[in-house]
Amino acid sequence: MRKILLMALALAPVLSYAQGFQVNLEGEKQIGMGHTGVGQAQDGASIFFNPGAVAMLQQNYVQAGISPLFYKSDFNLSGTATQNYNANKIATPFTGYAVWGPKSGTWKLGFGVYTPFGGLTDWGTSWPGKYSLESLDLKAIYFQPTLSIRLTKFLSIGGGFVYNHGSVDLTEAIPLSNSSGQDGQAELKGSGKGYGWNAGIYIKAGKELTIGLVHRSKVNTTISNGDAIFTVPASLQSSFPQPNTFNATIPLPATDAIGFGYNPCKNWTVALDVNLVNWSVYKDLAFDYKTNSPQLQDTDQPRNYKNAVAIRGGAQYKYKDNWAFRFGGGYASTAVNDGYVTPEAPDANRVYGTLGAGYTMSKHLDIDVSFEYEHLMQRTQTNTYSNLSGTFKTNVYIPGISLAYHW
Amino acid sequence: MKNLRKYIYVVAGLLLLSACKPEISTVKPSKGNADFSNYIAVGNSLTAGYADGGLYLAGQENSYPSIIAKQMLAVGGGEFKQPLFSADQANGSGYLKLTGFTATGSPITTPVTTNLAVRGQISVPGFGNVTLYSKYTGGEFNNLGVPGIKLQQIMYAPYGNLNGYFERMLGQPAPNNTETYLDFVTTGRKYTFFSNWLGNNDALGYATSGGAGDVLTDKAVFEQLYTVMINAMTANGQKGVVGTIPDVTAVPYFNTVTVGAILAGVQKANPTVQSIYINALVSGTTTYAPRAATAKDLIVLTFPTSQIGTLVSTPYGTLPYGLTPYTPIDNQYVLDDAEVAMTEDYVAAYNNTIKTVAAQKGLAVFDAFTFLNNVKAQGLLINGVALNSNYISGGIFSLDGIHLTPRGYAIVANEFIKAINAKYGSSIPLADISAYGGVKFP
Repeated sequence: MRKILLMALALAPVLSYAQGFQVNLEGEKQIGMGHTGVGQAQDGASIFFNPGAVAMLQQNYVQAGISPLFYKSDFNLSGTATQNYNANKIATPFTGYAVWGPKSGTWKLGFGVYTPFGGLTDWGTSWPGKYSLESLDLKAIYFQPTLSIRLTKFLSIGGGFVYNHGSVDLTEAIPLSNSSGQDGQAELKGSGKGYGWNAGIYIKAGKELTIGLVHRSKVNTTISNGDAIFTVPASLQSSFPQPNTFNATIPLPATDAIGFGYNPCKNWTVALDVNLVNWSVYKDLAFDYKTNSPQLQDTDQPRNYKNAVAIRGGAQYKYKDNWAFRFGGGYASTAVNDGYVTPEAPDANRVYGTLGAGYTMSKHLDIDVSFEYEHLMQRTQTNTYSNLSGTFKTNVYIPGISLAYHW
Repeated sequence: MKNLRKYIYVVAGLLLLSACKPEISTVKPSKGNADFSNYIAVGNSLTAGYADGGLYLAGQENSYPSIIAKQMLAVGGGEFKQPLFSADQANGSGYLKLTGFTATGSPITTPVTTNLAVRGQISVPGFGNVTLYSKYTGGEFNNLGVPGIKLQQIMYAPYGNLNGYFERMLGQPAPNNTETYLDFVTTGRKYTFFSNWLGNNDALGYATSGGAGDVLTDKAVFEQLYTVMINAMTANGQKGVVGTIPDVTAVPYFNTVTVGAILAGVQKANPTVQSIYINALVSGTTTYAPRAATAKDLIVLTFPTSQIGTLVSTPYGTLPYGLTPYTPIDNQYVLDDAEVAMTEDYVAAYNNTIKTVAAQKGLAVFDAFTFLNNVKAQGLLINGVALNSNYISGGIFSLDGIHLTPRGYAIVANEFIKAINAKYGSSIPLADISAYGGVKFP
């Protein structure tokens, strides 16, 4: 009769491909120019940026690149003087593209592998927000076969089917201490898939001006039968049935983009892209556990993201045919409304600047390097779901290198 | 060689990147117009860090004054020493440990009886036995909380022989102590800031004994002693913070074993039972009479529910315990409706005194009464942890249902800090609640 009823815990894993996770690292040449690429036909990365431009590529390409990403967040719990940093972990967004078509033919085939969304963050097991998130490793790898056709000398179109292989590994603390005072642990780990498409139009509007339009569709990614591992004190384990699995669906938003490339003179290219990212599809995040208990209920947290805009600009200067120097920058508005900021990607409005350089060896091999610095504005928030109240500030540093063989 | 050098450059570059951490400029800690260099804490078991029905080292280390003092370090706070039990006597007085649950989900608690600091026992004529604990020999200390002490006892000279926790702080072994608690706190002690959370036991002693084993401290006596105490503590212009007395009905000690739950348990075995009976105070009198219990009557956490329905021989025959007006539940287990009302009336008067005296002296006030009633009504959601006033599952109260868990004490420490900051214009940083644990489960 002195029965205690453990209340349903606020065990509500946070998991989102917030804008912090739209990694925008799909080609070193394009990164160097501030992530522009919709309105240009630079190389095989057009498979991602604008499949319509692929048919306008002068050559065939096989290329690969990697952009190690250093995501450095700082958190200050409201009212305290302590700062918590996420651990130094390096995410590795990568790209691989292949483009082939008959010489001076009107069509090209392409295949792209790239990582448009992903996140790697580790706040450790002793920070104030540990009951919301300890660590998260989230990956989305898109595979995209592509066909692009040149309709006229100045107009080409293209499209590709997208298969996404997504994976997640998330840990958070459960506020139930064992006899030595350690918190319980939840780990949700699984992989899933989703489908979508990517299509674009590319226009040579004049000698100096190129224009691109592209739509990258929403990709609903469903993680099914992921492992839900709960480590709690033995006397409470029956409240957290094991083994257990979970299902969750995360929509990766559609992007509409328009881009311009402008060649004022032989050596210079200037580019401008505007992206509208349709984050408003991300209304809620539901976790459905296979085996429930009074303490382990399915959760459905509101997310209520809003659409976000990114404006990007960049330029390239060609030097002696085989050198290229690039710079760029941009601004992206946050998708996360006030009250919904969570520690897995403490999102905020952001600005960034990029630098890049490329060298072409023996006319066939491009070596490109890029560097990006991204700054997320300081944002002080109280999360409506967890009441975690504090200030986040994030800097991101992304060096990158790619090799492209073309013939 | 050339490649090696390149490699070094790359590594150096990466190291440079890892060094570029973002910085948030946090609120600049400030002591405002108070001086926290020597802080002392005055109070009872809550101040001492009592938890799980005992005083032990781990509880002392998480006492709310020690948490406040830790946070005060950022604003010029000094060393805060506590009369800690030694490591080999870490279990102090002994305490309750949660060791499992019954098939029906009731918690099983087991007393910890090893590594105690019990030194012996003396028998005080006219009072009873007093358990004595190993004397604290580490010199001056700042946490002066004495478990069990009432405000009513602060000027009672023999008290140092009647309370083993106080006795261990004093120089002499019982029964030779003659220093009152008030003198102990104020005489010759240098301090610049104090907290005072005395007075709970003046009501709680009565309430936890079901209104049977203790009495409420007279309101006028409370007012007189509280005034004397605060006058003495502020004699040299010291600043401080005081706490009000929680509503006794806000703690799980009185809200866990309910009349409804007992009745439901009985009805499972015998559906014809309509009521359980208690011996209740007749309102407006001092006499007790049996009556059927209602939801407004509070049963204490320690009531042995298995006793219900056991046969008792009475002048009217052999009858089941608790189920007839002739065999009511013993008074000591029940704080009945009228007793609750009386306790609440006294607590309201005590709190009125505390707030009035604090206002006169310009002291900060942590209104524990209001705070804990709000927690009871609405719960708390902090850093993703949902907390409430429920026994064990609520996360705030320890296994005795009255004292707090480390997390509960950290929450209280933050409330004290907020009150101090508001009063003295200081900015003592708050403690991180997530860093303090709740009830430990096996």
